[in-house]
Amino acid sequence: MDETVAEFFKRTILKIPMTEMMTILKAWDFLSEKQLQNVNFRQRKESLVQDLVLLCEKKRASVHDAALLDIVCEDIDLFDMEQFKSSFKKILQRALKNVMVSFRDAEENAVWIRIAWGTQYRKPNQYKPVYVVYYSQTPYAFTSSCPLRSNIPLLGQALTVASNHHKIVKMDLRSRYLDSLKAIVFKQYNQTFETYNSTTPLQEKSLELDIHMDSRIIHENRIEKERVQRVTQETFGDYSQPRLEFAQYKLETKFKSDFNGDILAERKEPLRCLIKFSSPHLLEALKSLAPAGIADAPLSPLLTCIPNKGMNYFKIKDK
Amino acid sequence: MDSYESTHQHIASSRLKDYFIGATPLQKRLESVRKQTSFVPTPPRRKIPQCSQLQEDNDPQKVAFLLHKQWTLYSLTPLYKFSYTNLKEYASLLSAFIAAEKQKGLAVEVGEDFNIKVTFSTLLGMKGTQRDPEAFLVQILSKSQLPSENREHKVLWTGWFCCIFGDSLLETVSEDFTCVPLFLANGAETNTAIVGTWFQKTFDCYFSPLAINAFNLSWMAAMWTACKMDQYMAATEFLWSVPCSPQSLDISYAIHPEDAKALWDSVHKTPGEVTQEEVDLFMDCLYSHFHRHFKIHLSATRLVRVSTSVASAHTDGKIKVSLNKSSYVIFPYCYIVFKMYGICIFHIEEAQWNANLRQ
Repeated sequence: MDETVAEFFKRTILKIPMTEMMTILKAWDFLSEKQLQNVNFRQRKESLVQDLVLLCEKKRASVHDAALLDIVCEDIDLFDMEQFKSSFKKILQRALKNVMVSFRDAEENAVWIRIAWGTQYRKPNQYKPVYVVYYSQTPYAFTSSCPLRSNIPLLGQALTVASNHHKIVKMDLRSRYLDSLKAIVFKQYNQTFETYNSTTPLQEKSLELDIHMDSRIIHENRIEKERVQRVTQETFGDYSQPRLEFAQYKLETKFKSDFNGDILAERKEPLRCLIKFSSPHLLEALKSLAPAGIADAPLSPLLTCIPNKGMNYFKIKDK
Repeated sequence: MDSYESTHQHIASSRLKDYFIGATPLQKRLESVRKQTSFVPTPPRRKIPQCSQLQEDNDPQKVAFLLHKQWTLYSLTPLYKFSYTNLKEYASLLSAFIAAEKQKGLAVEVGEDFNIKVTFSTLLGMKGTQRDPEAFLVQILSKSQLPSENREHKVLWTGWFCCIFGDSLLETVSEDFTCVPLFLANGAETNTAIVGTWFQKTFDCYFSPLAINAFNLSWMAAMWTACKMDQYMAATEFLWSVPCSPQSLDISYAIHPEDAKALWDSVHKTPGEVTQEEVDLFMDCLYSHFHRHFKIHLSATRLVRVSTSVASAHTDGKIKVSLNKSSYVIFPYCYIVFKMYGICIFHIEEAQWNANLRQ
């Protein structure tokens, strides 16, 4: 067998969780039942994979067979929802005596989890639950704020283990709108205008301006205005922005000014600032700043990177 | 001549009708003063007083309770035939008025005790010069209905009236009037309204809410940042409101108090004085630091609130003074510069209260 094909087999089989191994191999229907029976499925995964690849080699499996195996893997939902739920629940219940966990399946392979926390001596508090929404096909979960901070690591651990991941990382992204968070994290916010033609709409817009205006009124800085419009459109796109309420920046940067050169010139320490932008719809508000003349165009990348980076909490330091 | 006179009077009455009723000689006098000071530029310099007679008379306990509260500011026209010797009478009159209003069913607070007590007292030391009238305090306290309980009366509402550095106004007003142009209220708005109504009826005066504009807020921020503190309790924070549509945007900018002080010290050149240039430069530095990062021109937005370890002020005319408890000598006091058009600039400075440091 070609080395690359062997590698392909190895990687495809490695992707299969141990719990699904038998199911997938049976569905693939390349290795016979007898052959599968002879394989030791209790050994370490690396060794099992080696054995299976050898078997495939013996049977002269081709790259097409490998491709078929790949399709089978995709077809069968490798994520076992029931197993996730029971595992998640077990982990929490093992650690805490009084905890109540409820599940609700939602669309798009999402599961809503509600956790009511108690303590060793008190029953779970039903009025301060934590909600988690986990999208099984993605490595993302969204949680509501947890009133008991000490439970957060446990929650993270339960999610990680139950979903067969290695570790969980908290993102610097917070909002009241789950749909907006999803839009940002799954990069769905710019899908409405995939075939956007940048030249035509702008021309139409300029025309609109002329039709409704008195011909005696002329725009000063017309060119600049159009440039600002164009740049804003390029930065923000023409679609509606995902909804966030705030962005926070912790700055630790030195004071530098072109006009006030000697102010704080000798000071080595940076200025420690905390800047917070709040709005019912932050990104739309930011988008309107340059056209209104309140900001320069292009707007600072610190602001425009929010949806791309999936962050609205930043720590900025001098390099 | 005739036509000039009539226009003159017309202008006078249309401007002054909000403030005064009747009193033609006074109208004329005030009009002449107005004409002299028709353009009142902000004084470009404000002295930072090192020491003043304010400290001598101050009752620390009485003034201390004025701190840590949010006060809503109003400007008040001079009171007609107000006398400091009648304070007790005023207290009982106001008390009766409040009881009557509440019985009428107007502005009844749910659960509030109808048994209230009103006190009027002078607040010594809260003035700028000896010429200024004394400040006085009005309080509404609740009386416990049960005779067996000998509890202290709970303060429901506090208002104080003062005049600080009111020289320009005092010169123009006849002796029948008492000028206490600044009124500060803490407590339920309904009580403020009742007290205001009684004062308006009794002393022929008029209250109007005092807004603090961005220009004055910047001055306050600069002066409060300039105060030397042993320990800073809070950051120097600014809040801007951005006039963009369709969504509103608020920008809050908080600087570590030590860094704000360092910036001020770098800007401040004249000892003992704060100049307009320095305030402008201070704000400019903040704007440019912000612009460097975000490309947004804060100067094009509206400054709405400033807050420091010393005090905070909101454009809606709300202020709050904080006492730095850890400092053994720092004691904040208020002094006010009064402008002819009813705009008060409110400054809060720290003064050395300890006798050792008095000069």
